Amino acid sequence: MALKINAKWLLAIILITPVLISGLPTKVSGEMWGRWTNESAKYKDANNEYVFKTSKNYFSLERGYFGLETTFSENTKARFTVDMFSTDATHQYPTDLAVPIDTLKNASIDGAGLKLKYAYVDFARLFPVPELNLTVGLQKVYFGTIYDWNYSLIGKAPTDEYKVANSADYGITLNGYIPGGYGEYAVGAYNGEGYKKVASSLSDNTSFAYLANLRLTPVPGVTVGGSYMTNSVRRDKKLSGDAPESKYEEQALLDAVLRLNYSIVDLWGEYISKDMKFPNATGKDYTATGFMIMPIVSLKPYLNKDFQLLFRYDVWDETDNPSSTSFYKLNATTIGANYNFLHDASNVPAMQLQLNYTMKKYNEDDSAPAYADGVKDSNQLMLQLKWRFSSTISN
Amino acid sequence: MKRISIIIALSIILIAVSPLLAAKKKQITITGSTTVLPIAQAAAEAFMDKNDVNISVRGGGSGVGVAALINKTATIANSSRPMKAKEITQAKSAGVNPVSYAIANDGITIVVHKNNSVKDLSIKQIRDIYTGKVTNWNQVGGPNLPIVIISRDVASGTFEVFNEKVLSGAKVIDSAMMLASNNAVATTVGDTPGAIGYIGLGYVTDKTRIVSVEGVTPSEKTIKSGEYKISRKLYMFTNGKATGDAARFLNFIFSAEGQKIVEEQGFISVK
Repeated sequence: MALKINAKWLLAIILITPVLISGLPTKVSGEMWGRWTNESAKYKDANNEYVFKTSKNYFSLERGYFGLETTFSENTKARFTVDMFSTDATHQYPTDLAVPIDTLKNASIDGAGLKLKYAYVDFARLFPVPELNLTVGLQKVYFGTIYDWNYSLIGKAPTDEYKVANSADYGITLNGYIPGGYGEYAVGAYNGEGYKKVASSLSDNTSFAYLANLRLTPVPGVTVGGSYMTNSVRRDKKLSGDAPESKYEEQALLDAVLRLNYSIVDLWGEYISKDMKFPNATGKDYTATGFMIMPIVSLKPYLNKDFQLLFRYDVWDETDNPSSTSFYKLNATTIGANYNFLHDASNVPAMQLQLNYTMKKYNEDDSAPAYADGVKDSNQLMLQLKWRFSSTISN
Repeated sequence: MKRISIIIALSIILIAVSPLLAAKKKQITITGSTTVLPIAQAAAEAFMDKNDVNISVRGGGSGVGVAALINKTATIANSSRPMKAKEITQAKSAGVNPVSYAIANDGITIVVHKNNSVKDLSIKQIRDIYTGKVTNWNQVGGPNLPIVIISRDVASGTFEVFNEKVLSGAKVIDSAMMLASNNAVATTVGDTPGAIGYIGLGYVTDKTRIVSVEGVTPSEKTIKSGEYKISRKLYMFTNGKATGDAARFLNFIFSAEGQKIVEEQGFISVK
């Protein structure tokens, strides 16, 4: 019920906002991702042997965004984006539930969900530093590649995929660009729990996450950067009685980014380290690490059409994690092709057709506990049509 | 069956590579500022008369031109403002090295209807008009006539320079008409007795009258010297130092003939 009420409110806001902001230059934008997914994964057969079986085959509206960006003045802009989804975190519950479905947390059989993704205000020129913004509200998390990941491949940014950082969160940041075009930076404080958690789903935690991000572009075609974030989950001591909370965890998150862009090749590399400490429990500390390498090759100069070939290789290693539920090392390989068409004047395509084939393989030695947690070797084929629009309304 | 498969495969390959086989005429694509547009168009026509090269010129605004350069779809980006640090960073990350060429000088010219008696305004008075503090011409020494405010849309380079040099970031009043081109502003001001607008010097028409700013009228001398406060340079950007046909085109613009075209279009030469 809570989700339905939220959805109604959000829809009302979407419909009413354009009326309320009439007279102000407002950019209206939207994006939809229609997808076909076919996946085969390893399951046991009658002989107790693991064999590949078709585990998923469906069409979905995987993501939809609707956004409004209002320019109140040249120094004050606000953005509001709604995230619509048909598969992520919606659940089909059996009809023979013992309790009414409305009483269950996160229950939804609507076939679609609605979340706020962004709702922030940018204030420029508050400080005598060129191109420095103060951003307040539900906003991007300037960590690694997650904040400017443009989904050239269908998959998420590594830090998003491996639950290292959230793509958006409630907070306050100072972010800007280095004069002369030598890079960008951001520092900020966030809730640390991401945009999906609100109200009762928030953990019992009164500490903020703190972030620093720096990207440098010393010469054209070369970008190097690093992000560091500290975060914690739950509180150190229980609110009542001051007893130590054994599940309290402290996180130190590190990310390094390298991007090389020359001629038709755009190469991305990312290294991630997630250092977890449990001060009130012994034997649980661990560090998970991983990296991604992703070359994107544009065939446009040769075909006169906006075709791209893509490759991505990820390693995410949680073998240092003593928790049996996430004790695995993942190797993921993706090959893909994009056809971008219906470009606007700035060469942004309104349509993007994407074909991806992803092979995920978990370390043989560690497969048993991981499989017990539902992690399985898989081959996944995805075909996605993404379309977007953007228009600025001014009086 | 095998033969048919081979024919189909060869046909697909042929279709795929056909753009490569087609003989290409040399092509320069120029996109961006509507202020720089008339200079680029006139220069392109004169250059194409003498050279076997095809130049396509489009407007769209400075931001669009810079984005097209970053996306590697424009040979030259026209801009009526310098590139921002954000744009340079994005360009460099994408492997683009923006190099600027200041091809003309311009004064953002304050214009009113030709029958309006106001001859001079201070920067503060202009700011007060655009922010709604001054609403009648009689508050600044003119007739008893409500002021109709005409502005450029916030995406234009002309607006950004006006915002920086006159408004200092203050918000233009909501009732202002935000128009998409210099021509539209000039036409609307010329047709509206109480109107005020700002345009590139080259767009002043007989139906509008120039208002001096802080006692200085925009002219070649006052703009080049910087005495006229709302002056700027007009730019063309290329990816790296211009080479080949793009370099020849830019050299043409910097030549005596090219700078004459700049002046014919109502702007101030850089020589």
